[in-house]
Amino acid sequence: MTDTHVAAPAKTAAPPPDAPRNQALAKAALLLLRGRTLVVLVLLIVIFSAISGEYLTQSNLILMTKHVAINAILAIGVTFVILTGGIDLSVGSIAGLASMVSGGLLFKGLNFPGGTVFFSVAVVILIGIVVGALVGAVNGVLITRFKVAPFIATLGMLYVARGLAQLHSNGGTYPDLAGTDARGNTGFHFIGVDSLLGIPVAVWIMVLVAVAAIVVTTKTPFGRRIFAVGGNERAAVLSGIRVNRVKIAVYVISGACAALAGLLLTSELGAAYPDTATTYELNAIAAAVLGGTALAGGRGTIIGTVMGAFVIGFLSDGLVLVGVSTFWQSVVKGAVIVFAVITEQAQQRLQSGLTKRTA
Amino acid sequence: MTGVLEAIDISKNYGGVRALKDVTFTAHQGKVNVLVGENGAGKSTLMKILSGSEQPTSGEIRLDGEPVVLGSPRAAQALGIGIIHQELSLFPNLSIAENMFAGRELRRGGLFVDTAEQRRRAVEVLARLGQGHLSLDTAVGDFPIGQQQLVEIGRALLEDVRVLIMDEPTSALSNHEVDVLFGVMADLRAQDVTVIYISHKLDEFRRIGDWVTVFRDGSLVAHESMDKTDTGWIVRQMVGRDPDSLYVRNSSPVGDLLLEVRELTAPGFHDVSLSVRAGEVVGIYGLMGAGRTELMECLMGMRKAEAGSVAVRGKPETRGTVQARMAAGLALVPEDRQRDGLVQTMSVRDNILLATVARFTRAGLLSGGAEQRTADAKVRELAIKSPGLAAAVTSLSGGNQQKVVLARALLTEPVVLLLDEPTRGIDVGAKSQIAALMADLAAQGFGVLFISSELAEVMAMADRVLVMARGRITAEFTAQNVTEEALVTASASESVLEGQQ
Amino acid sequence: MFKKLLIAATAASLLTLTACGGDDSASSSGDSGASAPAASKLIVIITPSPDNVFFKAEQDAASAQAKKLGYETLVLSHDDDPTKQSQEIDTAISRKAAAIILDNAGADASVTAIQRAKDAGIPTFLVDREINKTGVAVAQIVSNNAQGAGLGGQEFAKLMGNKGEYAELTGKPTDTNAGVRSQGYHGVLDQFPDLKMVAQQSANWDQAEALQKTQTILQAHPNIKGIIAGNDTMALGAWAAVQAAKKDIVVVGFDGSPDVVASILKNGIKATVLQPASKISEMAVDQADAYIKAGGKTDQPEKQSVDCVLVNPDNAKSVTDFAVS
Repeated sequence: MTDTHVAAPAKTAAPPPDAPRNQALAKAALLLLRGRTLVVLVLLIVIFSAISGEYLTQSNLILMTKHVAINAILAIGVTFVILTGGIDLSVGSIAGLASMVSGGLLFKGLNFPGGTVFFSVAVVILIGIVVGALVGAVNGVLITRFKVAPFIATLGMLYVARGLAQLHSNGGTYPDLAGTDARGNTGFHFIGVDSLLGIPVAVWIMVLVAVAAIVVTTKTPFGRRIFAVGGNERAAVLSGIRVNRVKIAVYVISGACAALAGLLLTSELGAAYPDTATTYELNAIAAAVLGGTALAGGRGTIIGTVMGAFVIGFLSDGLVLVGVSTFWQSVVKGAVIVFAVITEQAQQRLQSGLTKRTA
Repeated sequence: MTGVLEAIDISKNYGGVRALKDVTFTAHQGKVNVLVGENGAGKSTLMKILSGSEQPTSGEIRLDGEPVVLGSPRAAQALGIGIIHQELSLFPNLSIAENMFAGRELRRGGLFVDTAEQRRRAVEVLARLGQGHLSLDTAVGDFPIGQQQLVEIGRALLEDVRVLIMDEPTSALSNHEVDVLFGVMADLRAQDVTVIYISHKLDEFRRIGDWVTVFRDGSLVAHESMDKTDTGWIVRQMVGRDPDSLYVRNSSPVGDLLLEVRELTAPGFHDVSLSVRAGEVVGIYGLMGAGRTELMECLMGMRKAEAGSVAVRGKPETRGTVQARMAAGLALVPEDRQRDGLVQTMSVRDNILLATVARFTRAGLLSGGAEQRTADAKVRELAIKSPGLAAAVTSLSGGNQQKVVLARALLTEPVVLLLDEPTRGIDVGAKSQIAALMADLAAQGFGVLFISSELAEVMAMADRVLVMARGRITAEFTAQNVTEEALVTASASESVLEGQQ
Repeated sequence: MFKKLLIAATAASLLTLTACGGDDSASSSGDSGASAPAASKLIVIITPSPDNVFFKAEQDAASAQAKKLGYETLVLSHDDDPTKQSQEIDTAISRKAAAIILDNAGADASVTAIQRAKDAGIPTFLVDREINKTGVAVAQIVSNNAQGAGLGGQEFAKLMGNKGEYAELTGKPTDTNAGVRSQGYHGVLDQFPDLKMVAQQSANWDQAEALQKTQTILQAHPNIKGIIAGNDTMALGAWAAVQAAKKDIVVVGFDGSPDVVASILKNGIKATVLQPASKISEMAVDQADAYIKAGGKTDQPEKQSVDCVLVNPDNAKSVTDFAVS
């Protein structure tokens, strides 16, 4: 990313003569554009609740938020990667692999020569997340040490991890993850099915992950370095930042988030199957982009990504709720994503127009 | 005296800011018209208006006395007004011929690119620029930057131009290449072409200019025939004060040995030995491609050394990573701010603190207050002009951006500061500030090692001057015995030029 | 340096691991290798992804029957991608297979590839899904989806007491069977004026998608009493949603997969329609064998359909691997 000469304000059109008033207008427009994900979300809620009385009920809002949780967690992980200027196409497959690994441990345990060992649910979840983190680490190493382009490395991993997930059960499904008391592995449904204080546990987990991610990105030196690597890698190197470490770390985070999302999905379903979360990576990337994360790196926020996930989730569920056909669901979703990117660029233009240095 | 291109009462507003205030400017036909002024003085804005890429807020442009509207660069081109921009606008992956005709390929039968004719004309133009030896098929990106700049100039010469605007075309050229360019400009003048030439390099433009026009703060403050002016007059007009204060010479006593480099070798340079002491400002003078930047990057740990040693404060530093060199006490302000220095997506504050951000934490979390205080102190100390710490770093002028990178380097608490072309592309006022800073740092006991391609600058600022050519140190002078001639001879002997080509 | 080697080794072993896996499933019986002479004894079996137990049973039954009759087998999966299927048929042609057993990837999109096999002298026996052309494949042996859906619809209506609101989850819209089953259901259900379909959504045969869509549908229509799904994986997804919502809702699927049969035995999902996948596969292999031995003749009609069987708590115990014993 050495060619990120974002500056180039000279090429933007300058506002016309009656500037002061126009500038005020432009500032208002900029504010609107910055909060556009929120604006879109509010619009969606208004439109759908006008069509269906069931949309804006407490129980539906909770349900939709629960559906959002899985994509939001995936998207938060992916946002870390995109902020460094990379991309992670393997998150859907990592979710699938983590799902199969954990499902297998719960369903049939781990075979040793001496017999079969079953782990408690907490340990199984931990193992699942560690598997995701390890796959992420392999991504990171491929990208930093072997200089494979992120797109290619994670595209490869998309296939490898999915294949490993299928190999794990030879293509089959682990149908029953309830566990037994004798094996001491009951309770997996807690993270995907149960609620705390009326809010699904999955939503609590999303909130935790989001808060942690916000703190890491905005309040830690590591977060600052992520933005620096994505904004200008060479400048980051010269500032003494261990760029490779930062990159490996973000892929590990992305892998761990993906695994967590896969586990939530599996817990909710009560079954693990190798196709779990197929193509979810695209939804996750879409949420990040929708939330204003620049694919070139260096620019974006976790909160934006979460908002993006909400827009996608509330839109999809709304379309199902009012009974729109699958085909139109695709069309509308695609159109919203492209529209979001157009407004993102409008924001960039407006912003550089306003902060323009007079040469 | 008739003016071929005139700007009458031109004003230009950006938002609420007036970049040009009622400027009336005449470019004299068949002359080299030099425009000078600090960055932000308005000269580039005027050139953008004259070349059609920006529209004036008010005022009129006349060509041969007739009012014209230059609605786009293409419209300006159609009227015979060409421009060479300061930044290269070449396609690095295409060959010279392809670049020269990019977007206006010669056609044969209306459909196919007439490659043969394009090559013939490219060779012609290159010969005119004294670059007939360049291979037409090499990708432009593989040439040194100076030669790329000449290709860019060649592209403008292909057009039938009546007015040619050159915005700092020599910033990346070696002295030899500058001579060639000036020869071309003399040719153009002889063909009655009007040349408008923007430059920061006082010693250069005095050689070629016929008229000089000085801008300051968006206004045209002086317009004079070159032979009626002298350097001092020009600088006074530009900065509104006396030029004697332009460069501050370090005069602090020399102390301990801080940096000692022994027979350092890496791709781009060989067997370089040098030393820098506390309180000393050491300059490295040399042409582009002499290995200076490679040396700096190797010292900073961005390039692996093949042989040799580096010791800081008497301790050998053998790990050779950026982190290790930084911890040992080195800090580098790179040559290309945009590429290596700034994180364009970040604020002024975050850029200043980037290298030291880990220091401002409490329980692992960044402490906004400490960050703010530290960044604010640096902004004051270095007199960085910025709309605020949270402003995008790209909204600052070149000189202030350079100070941001410098502030970041200083925060790492170095003992030796490495500065690669610290004054490149910044205006005279900022240059003098940077020079003062360097002297001040030396007085505080830092060692300063800097690279410069400007003779006047290196002679005025350095206590000792090392000359680099073809990857080797070829000469060393003290401030007392250095002369321009000696520097030029050491840096650009015939063998060096041959080797470059 | 050592670190780099270690990393390389890890990456390599990861890759090898998958590569081995690929071999395993691609040539589950390459005993005598590719040394097959002109008179080929190779039967190529191509099905959708064995992720779905139904197709796995289909593959396994065909492969076992072929080996019993003395053939080598090559088992491939096209993942419902007609392009991949076409390439796999090319593989069969270049390996000079004796016959192809195919559960195809699209009623129209598969015709050209099957024709290409025919032109190369390789007979294709279709199982499970039909194509929209006759005279190309030697046989098209399918379970009678319409009849099966009729059975499923009747059972569903009975379980609902012939009245109440229900939702339907349909399969991948591009799959013929998705349409045939839906029509079969409605052929029965639409006769009952008190049975009211309040939502119809495609869940693309996918379990997780069925789960989420069912949850949303239950939000919109809290009074739903039944959900009828176009296959068993979607029925399982719907059932997970019903359980989470702690509602008493009738769920009926289609396929007769072991997971759903198990659920029926536990009084979860109420019924499914068993497609005799194993039987169809065996029939196809038997007919292929007869065709080869007769020197390219068959006495069977091209279109053959095998009736489906309703599975409910009464007979669920006797179901194994897509067959009622």
